[in-house]
Amino acid sequence: MADTITELFSAPLTFNWTLSFACNFSCSHCYSREEVAEELCTADIFRIVDVLAEKQVPFINFGGGEPLIRQDLFAIAAYATSRGLNVSMNSNGWLLDETAARRLKESGFKSVGISIDSAEGALHDDFRNRPGSFPRAVAALDALAAVGLKSTMSAVISRINHRHFRDLLQLAREHGVGTVYLHNFKCSGRGFKNREELDLSPEEWKAFYVEALAVQKETVDLDISFDDPVIASLPGYKENPLVKGSSCGKLSLHLRPDGDITPCGFIPLVVGNILRDDFDTLWYDSPILNKMRNKEATGKCSGCGAFADCLGGCTARSFAVTGDFCEPDPHCWK
Amino acid sequence: MNCLIRNPDIVWRVEKRREEAIRQAAEAGEDVSDRGTVILMISGMMHQLNLVGGEIWTLCDGSRTAEGLIDALAGEYQVAREELSGDVAAFIDDLLERGWLRHG
Repeated sequence: MADTITELFSAPLTFNWTLSFACNFSCSHCYSREEVAEELCTADIFRIVDVLAEKQVPFINFGGGEPLIRQDLFAIAAYATSRGLNVSMNSNGWLLDETAARRLKESGFKSVGISIDSAEGALHDDFRNRPGSFPRAVAALDALAAVGLKSTMSAVISRINHRHFRDLLQLAREHGVGTVYLHNFKCSGRGFKNREELDLSPEEWKAFYVEALAVQKETVDLDISFDDPVIASLPGYKENPLVKGSSCGKLSLHLRPDGDITPCGFIPLVVGNILRDDFDTLWYDSPILNKMRNKEATGKCSGCGAFADCLGGCTARSFAVTGDFCEPDPHCWK
Repeated sequence: MNCLIRNPDIVWRVEKRREEAIRQAAEAGEDVSDRGTVILMISGMMHQLNLVGGEIWTLCDGSRTAEGLIDALAGEYQVAREELSGDVAAFIDDLLERGWLRHG
């Protein structure tokens, strides 16, 4: 079934932007730790900002790689803000002391997300392969609160934390966080290599979401976000997302450090380069994006009553495991 | 002056390609009142304004009163000024109540 929403939008709402694949951490699940790409100079990055401003892309979110490793992050954010873009980022928090937090705020950042995968410090440190990373991540949240910059918390749900996500919510409350993103595990990069150890079974994913959605419903002091299209196949699920299925290529795109555009950070297929190619042509005519936007039910999705809502689940996961966008999401429990 | 200005916290965008298609449909006599040309992102939710609503929204840049908006629209739409005034006033009141517009 075709999802026609992309006909309605003239550009993505969000660009997830990897300025650098460099990172001071070496996490077990990282999609990008072993990626390599030439990095652009500040002037070229400003040219990209100009393209995004011209196309009226409202939001950019820096990820990576650790964004704070780039010394010009503050200048880039300030320039993007001056061009009317809303800037946010995700960080491991190691380099984010109060001085950095103040500079981020002064640069125009609207919010900063800190990755914390377990409320147990030792478990987080082990997952992130960096002793001491937990207290520094928590300190980063406190630094953001101290300067009045909105913080969010991101956790990738995996075998280490799926039964203890409530502890993460409590940690968020204690450190002034307003939104917690419980990200679904992606089998990309190291996440693919380590998926036997880290990923849940489809039945475990179902159990997690049933429980976590119930917690979300009864929670009033925190926003809890999942952003996993496979949830739409749960009986009684009534949320009305902006688009059905994966939002990648419909509401968002990903920029690599060299300006190459991919549908999302977890799908390593380049649709073009933002500095060399005409953006509208890529956005409207890319065969890769159009295939993602018009998935057809295959395998167990054929005839499944949930397909109209989930559109086969996470396209990145299907592609990582099978090499085909249209194959069923390997997390699907149906 | 009691000019109208958009809430600066609201992120919005004119969907130009879609607007062009809707204008063509309107000129062909189709009912386009339910088709959005401007998207607003407010507290994680998306809202859409139709062709006339989108034009009013775009014009609310702090330089026009409600009367000024009606003047700007009157030349474009072939409807009685009284009818246009009533529709614009109701739309503006709704947006003021939502906090999407303010008096500047």
